[in-house]
Amino acid sequence: MFKYNFKYELKQLLRSRWIQLMSALLLLLFGFATYNGLQKVEERNAAITTAQDKARENDKIMVKLLDSLDRELEVSIPSWRHPTNPMVIGNSYPRVAAMPAETFAFVATGQSDMFTHYKKPEVYGFSFIEDFTEMTSPVQLLFGSFDLAFVIVYLLPLLIIAFSYNVLSAERESGSLRLLGAQPIRIETWVLQKLGLRFLWLSVLVILTLLMVFLALGIPPLNKMKAFLGLISMVLAYALFWFALAFLINLWVGRSAKNAMSLLGLWIVFVLLVPSVINQMGSTLYPLPSRALMINEMRGTQADVLKNVDEILDNFLRDHPEYAVNDTTLQRNYWHSFMVAQKVIREELQPVLDNHDQQLRKQQDWVTQFKWLSPAVVTQEALNQMAGTSSQDYENYRQQVLDFSHEWRNHFVPMVYNNTVFSKEDIENLPHFEYQPLKGTFTGALFTVLGLSLFVYLAGILAYQKKSRDIILKTE
Amino acid sequence: MITTKDLTKTYGGQIALDHLNLNVKAGEIYCLLGANGAGKTTAINLLLGFIEPTSGSAFINQLEVHKNPKATKHFLAYIPENLMLYPSLTAVENLDYFSGIAGKKLSSAALKDVLEESGLQPDAFDKRISTFSKGMRQKVGIAIALAKDAKVLLLDEPTSGLDPQASNEFGIVLQKLKTKGVATLMATHDLFRAKEIGTHVGIMKDGQLKQEFVVEKITLSELEKCYLDTMKYEKESV
Repeated sequence: MFKYNFKYELKQLLRSRWIQLMSALLLLLFGFATYNGLQKVEERNAAITTAQDKARENDKIMVKLLDSLDRELEVSIPSWRHPTNPMVIGNSYPRVAAMPAETFAFVATGQSDMFTHYKKPEVYGFSFIEDFTEMTSPVQLLFGSFDLAFVIVYLLPLLIIAFSYNVLSAERESGSLRLLGAQPIRIETWVLQKLGLRFLWLSVLVILTLLMVFLALGIPPLNKMKAFLGLISMVLAYALFWFALAFLINLWVGRSAKNAMSLLGLWIVFVLLVPSVINQMGSTLYPLPSRALMINEMRGTQADVLKNVDEILDNFLRDHPEYAVNDTTLQRNYWHSFMVAQKVIREELQPVLDNHDQQLRKQQDWVTQFKWLSPAVVTQEALNQMAGTSSQDYENYRQQVLDFSHEWRNHFVPMVYNNTVFSKEDIENLPHFEYQPLKGTFTGALFTVLGLSLFVYLAGILAYQKKSRDIILKTE
Repeated sequence: MITTKDLTKTYGGQIALDHLNLNVKAGEIYCLLGANGAGKTTAINLLLGFIEPTSGSAFINQLEVHKNPKATKHFLAYIPENLMLYPSLTAVENLDYFSGIAGKKLSSAALKDVLEESGLQPDAFDKRISTFSKGMRQKVGIAIALAKDAKVLLLDEPTSGLDPQASNEFGIVLQKLKTKGVATLMATHDLFRAKEIGTHVGIMKDGQLKQEFVVEKITLSELEKCYLDTMKYEKESV
């Protein structure tokens, strides 16, 4: 039966206008989404490049100023802005801590709209509560980005539903199912083969379309074969889930209209409802501490600390005799107090920060625990990981920036307390930031979606066994 | 070839078929006559295994249908009132598909021979079914039965809606199948056609087989009278 099903299903598909239209639509959607994603990545990279160029220009000015000051020439800036002061370097000549785009970042750009991709940590300020989110267009926040992940997670299932909702019911409604039912075949096997062939057709279409789009937009997939194959397998696993669902509904429900409504209902559940409920429950069960309250608490602590800053500084220098070598009360300035105040404030706020991180981790654990309920969540997360734009990626970046910020400040601590003059020779010793991306794998996501597909398929078989007797004539 | 023993089907207390006992042997054409709702189609659906009997049994080639649903279908062919095939495929392709999934692999020439035997004009062989009339589609249905080499043919009002010529041609093909030893059960409203091509006739009413005749022992007018008397009784009883 398979040979004949394959041969004639393929002929019918090739002769169907709807299939030709769907192929064109898929090409258009993938093409536009990839182009859109590339534009976003380009914007992101351009912003990073601009910041880095500006920093380089700044460094050149710094070198010139240091050179002039070294030769005791007159410079056109006030003395308190001279780069010979380490704190001027720490505040006015920061390094760019950038999170460059991964090769496949264009696949899922959704999260990238809401996060910054470069930071310039300074000595001044409270970097440990730094905000990493960026204001973006409210319209975009409402609808999300039209990227490949959006097309795959949201729109591809709709195309599959349109492609598969009436595989059995159309035969029943046209009358040809009675003729098929009179043949020595198992109807569930016939439906499975028919859907299998449509899945195969869609797979070929997806692979060819993505290849065409990638090549047309200058992303050679062969250079990143592993990532490309990963993308294809994730998309096909997700598509397989929707075909398995169509198999279940075709055998379980009945009329075409009912099938379509059932599948659309399930689309709402799996793509919209479950992800929202999981996220909402995570936020309700493990709410993040209010950022406004945290800032208030920080200000209160700061005020308290500043009242006793001299005493704190004395204690600090007692504990760190290496910084007290050149200390005289006359030489103490604002930065001496600032540095120690920062340290104390940070220590006092640490429980609040830990609570924030803990709640965030709990939220993420909650989502991880229940994400398998929706293949859309699993797929979106896998695509985000592939693109390097997942929550874990941004958290990883945030931690690296916070660590770098700490390193940057600490670099200047001995200079401040030892009253060191910053010179050209010190430039090469300045801390340098290099983003270390996560080495995420989506094998787990792939197997989760395949497992869900198998579960739905088995439910389809069970549905058939319960209703096999009236499958030919069923009208409800 | 086709046997039913006290075959009964009820739908929530409503009797659709009431203890039907039939025996159609090889080379016989049994015509089931009756008004709409008499139980003709229910009997055919039970023989096809599309529905389960409430009680009794149906047999095709001595195999009980509901215990061997797949096996019995190797022996039977079925043509419904409105034979629907795949409109985007040609007659040859439809025949190849249906005979193929039934396990009969035929060459291109053999497929065309079968279509010719069913009475379809050769210039229609490679035309898409969407351009076919009902009569032409019924011929492709006959071709599927021929290709399958079926021993049993179940027909559900196959000549309904056919023009007299197409109906006559259909009758001729059934006669050919009869000579090949095919046992045919045909549900129909057409008394004239039943008398012309049938070997046996049964009149059904309210799910029951009221009367049976051997066709050669009854004239058309006698058959018509019996049928009308049964229907009249039905109307009076209503």
